[in-house]
Amino acid sequence: MPAESVSTRPSRSGGSLGLTLVLSEITVLFRRLRTWAMIGALALIPILIAVVVRVSSDTSGSGRGPAFLNSITQNGLFVSLTALTVAIPLFLPLTIGVVAGDTIAGEANLGTLRYLLVAPAGRIRLLLVKYAGAALFCFVATLTVVVTGAIIGALLFPVGPVTLLSGDTVGIGGYFVRLLLLALYVTVSLLGLSAIGLFISTLTTIPVGAMAATAALAAVAQILGALPQLEWLHPWLFTNYWLGFADLLREPIVWTSFADNALLQLGYIAVFGALAYGRFSTRDVLS
Amino acid sequence: MNKNWRWLPAGIVPAVIVAASVSGTAVAEAQPQLPAKTAQELLEFVATSTDDAYSGTVEQSSNLGLPDVGMATPSGGTSSNDPTSLALELLTGEHTARVFVDGPDRARVQVLDELAQRDVIVNSTDAWSYDSATNEVRHAALPDKDAAKAELEARLQQKVADHPELQDLPRTPAELAELFLTEIDPSTEVAVDGTSRVADRSAYELRLTPEDPATLIGTISVSIDSETGVPLGVAVQAKGQEDAAFDAAFSDVDFSAPDATIFDFTPPPGATVIEAPTVDEARALVDGKDSDLPAVPTAKPTVIGEGWSTIVELPAGSASLMGIAPGSGEAGMGEIMEIKPGMDPEQVAGAQALLEQALTDVDGGRALQTSLASVLITDDGRILMGAVGIDQLVAAARQ
Amino acid sequence: MSTTDFAIRTRGLTKVFGRQAAVGGIDLAVPRGTVFGFLGPNGSGKTTTIRMLLGLATATSGEIDLLDGEMPRDARAVLPRVGALVEGPAIYPFLSGRANLRRFDAADRHTSPSTRTARVDAALERVGLGHAANKRAHAYSLGMKQRLGIANALLAPRDLLILDEPTNGLDPQGTREVRHLIRSLSDDGTTIFVSSHLLAEVEQMCSMIAVMSAGRLVAQGTLDELRDEGTARVRITTPDPLEARRVLLGLGLAPEVHGRDDVVTAQLSVPGLLPETVNTALVRAEVRVRGFEASGASLEDRFVALTGEGFDVAG
Repeated sequence: MPAESVSTRPSRSGGSLGLTLVLSEITVLFRRLRTWAMIGALALIPILIAVVVRVSSDTSGSGRGPAFLNSITQNGLFVSLTALTVAIPLFLPLTIGVVAGDTIAGEANLGTLRYLLVAPAGRIRLLLVKYAGAALFCFVATLTVVVTGAIIGALLFPVGPVTLLSGDTVGIGGYFVRLLLLALYVTVSLLGLSAIGLFISTLTTIPVGAMAATAALAAVAQILGALPQLEWLHPWLFTNYWLGFADLLREPIVWTSFADNALLQLGYIAVFGALAYGRFSTRDVLS
Repeated sequence: MNKNWRWLPAGIVPAVIVAASVSGTAVAEAQPQLPAKTAQELLEFVATSTDDAYSGTVEQSSNLGLPDVGMATPSGGTSSNDPTSLALELLTGEHTARVFVDGPDRARVQVLDELAQRDVIVNSTDAWSYDSATNEVRHAALPDKDAAKAELEARLQQKVADHPELQDLPRTPAELAELFLTEIDPSTEVAVDGTSRVADRSAYELRLTPEDPATLIGTISVSIDSETGVPLGVAVQAKGQEDAAFDAAFSDVDFSAPDATIFDFTPPPGATVIEAPTVDEARALVDGKDSDLPAVPTAKPTVIGEGWSTIVELPAGSASLMGIAPGSGEAGMGEIMEIKPGMDPEQVAGAQALLEQALTDVDGGRALQTSLASVLITDDGRILMGAVGIDQLVAAARQ
Repeated sequence: MSTTDFAIRTRGLTKVFGRQAAVGGIDLAVPRGTVFGFLGPNGSGKTTTIRMLLGLATATSGEIDLLDGEMPRDARAVLPRVGALVEGPAIYPFLSGRANLRRFDAADRHTSPSTRTARVDAALERVGLGHAANKRAHAYSLGMKQRLGIANALLAPRDLLILDEPTNGLDPQGTREVRHLIRSLSDDGTTIFVSSHLLAEVEQMCSMIAVMSAGRLVAQGTLDELRDEGTARVRITTPDPLEARRVLLGLGLAPEVHGRDDVVTAQLSVPGLLPETVNTALVRAEVRVRGFEASGASLEDRFVALTGEGFDVAG
């Protein structure tokens, strides 16, 4: 074994912003086969919808089925919207549950948590970095659905200026701007769930438990949101504005749901971030 | 080594959020201090209001004691152009609409549904409606504005010439207000009932209380913007009901002219465009001259009573025209709705189930009772309605 | 010695889980520059102590000084200078060995990204994993994982290494390499704190040791001090057992005669009495000695006495 070949003292300034760890987190997240499997599954949603509509075209569903489904045959760009409508209630929360539930519990399960903390990563910094990774996944997951939808739609159907909900039409360029806004909206929608997942993840060393609990909470919130008897509760549910993304497809754009949604999600981030901090900063890492 | 303080944020953050939302509500509910106005002054103020360009969001909610249509229709409350279910839908639940107004002849109303939208656009030349769920456009070309104005003016002049007493029509807002108050006085108490905050603006509350004991209507409150005199909201209270039976108010409003492009509309590609008959065609239709078009019963509705307890009676045949089969009392849960060509059978079934739920058998027909109004469908196909109890309708139907 | 002369110093360090004290008020003192053995049977509280030293677990009571700071308060300043292997290695199985190390290195905000590649490669070479650096870590053998764990502790120049059971899972060759590595690091001036349940291992590497038993620190000092504290034994094989017994009695010892085998044994219970003195006395008394065996270095007896348990000497 050679003697110490690098004798420089570690530089005390490099990477103190924590950017290196964020990059490392992203690398680790996207080097996992599991992450790509989930992204692949999400990409399958628009592909499946587009292919089914193409194969069984001519027999229009006359107003039934998910929103925008009937517009696909006229304009392939609507595949993104139909796929989002389908993915938002179930598939997106499921994948977010997996990623957010894994954040701390996964590291604890592998035992790598203790080496990150001894490095030292700093507990608050690690929480922030983990959350940033989960948030990025939310964006990538949403973007996957939107972009795959646009591509497969363009391949299988005619594309052209897109009719908005208000009956106005926008060109393809304007539509892509809206799709990007849409992806942002859905990403923001999922941030509250990610914060909940992060907190649950600090409670256990069994990642599967945290993932299941997070995904189950998303389902429970949607069920509560469907009960008219609990109307007073609805504005407080993190799922309340999930389907409000349609407000970006109106002309002029309705920004209130975007703002209300952002505020609500921010509230969830604050509450569950504080809970996660309370738990994780006092917790003994024994795994 | 006590680390328990690290749980402090987890306690403080929710407390701050709750406190912020509570105090936010308190601020919104605080009554603004405004110079006192009498009812007459307030009405004058409304009549002089010149702000006729604005845009805003209107929140409307109904609590008439009807089941929610949204739950009954398939695919989760998508809108429908079927007039019966459309009307029923607006009478139940909550709706949000955006309103753009610029002058007397340019307006756009957007009813914002979940993942869908209905638009009505009126500009100087055309009237459009668009439903995103069905991708249907309805269009009506408006008659030339100047010609229509001239015609109206001419007719008015003719009327005045025929009826000399109309010379004394009120001309000023003050006169208008006075006339309104005198006309309404015996049946209704009109008062200014303090102030409120609507759409983050201070407003006067004008309250109308019917003196008629027969009517179901308790009070009608109109919120009037203290700066512009534009009505910002209206709420109707049923007798003996705590919450407003009908409530529509701006949640935000902006008194600047909306972007002119908002009032332009071109039917989107692929949409079904249904042309409405022109004014002349419509007249022909009403007169029954055009044999290609289905005949419309020409008998006019009868008005029974006066004031708040007025009952309107539609003649026999009206019920079937609206897609409602005149049910017989004995038949009970028979087919209420007739399925007509072009209707979605599922939607009809949904609406029918809803009606079955809402209708009760009464002597001589079936009746629908809401907290503000009642409807009676008699066995012989007449429809009676009014802001009164079912008993009064039944009594009126017998006469 | 002042506080800063110690790399690790604890006072009354206690950890209670539920109602059971896993660590009960220990006072460790690890001087700088030593290779310090932390010895104790499995479950005696060694790993819990190490977790507290590194700020992974909070002490129920007591104080910890680590290098120039106090834990866990100064963790941010102190931990970058500490390399650690705690309760075995932990890896991301889906990453290569090199990517694993890059990940852990990135977690330390003080390390420089520009030297990362060089430092990771150097650490891998140092533990002999250079050839397997790009292999997925899930394909690593137990020994390779252990080496990767040690490499992680060596990513940056350290003032203190805390190695929990560093030779676990290693073959004899690997064990020798680790011993060699520890010696060379110690020569560079690094303080090394090695925990082990293997007496032999600690004896070969360490100049100082501390012994844990059932959550308590039962002994602490240099190896020689502990040996001296321990009572060595002499075992004499002689055809004249009674003569030998008389000589030993004369030296103030309490010999036992095992008649059948012509063996006399005695504990060297007189302070300062060395085995060679006993031998000289026997020769002077013309006792015929066929065999003389002094087991004065038997730490094992000492530890059995201290911990009440036998050590797994063979590993």
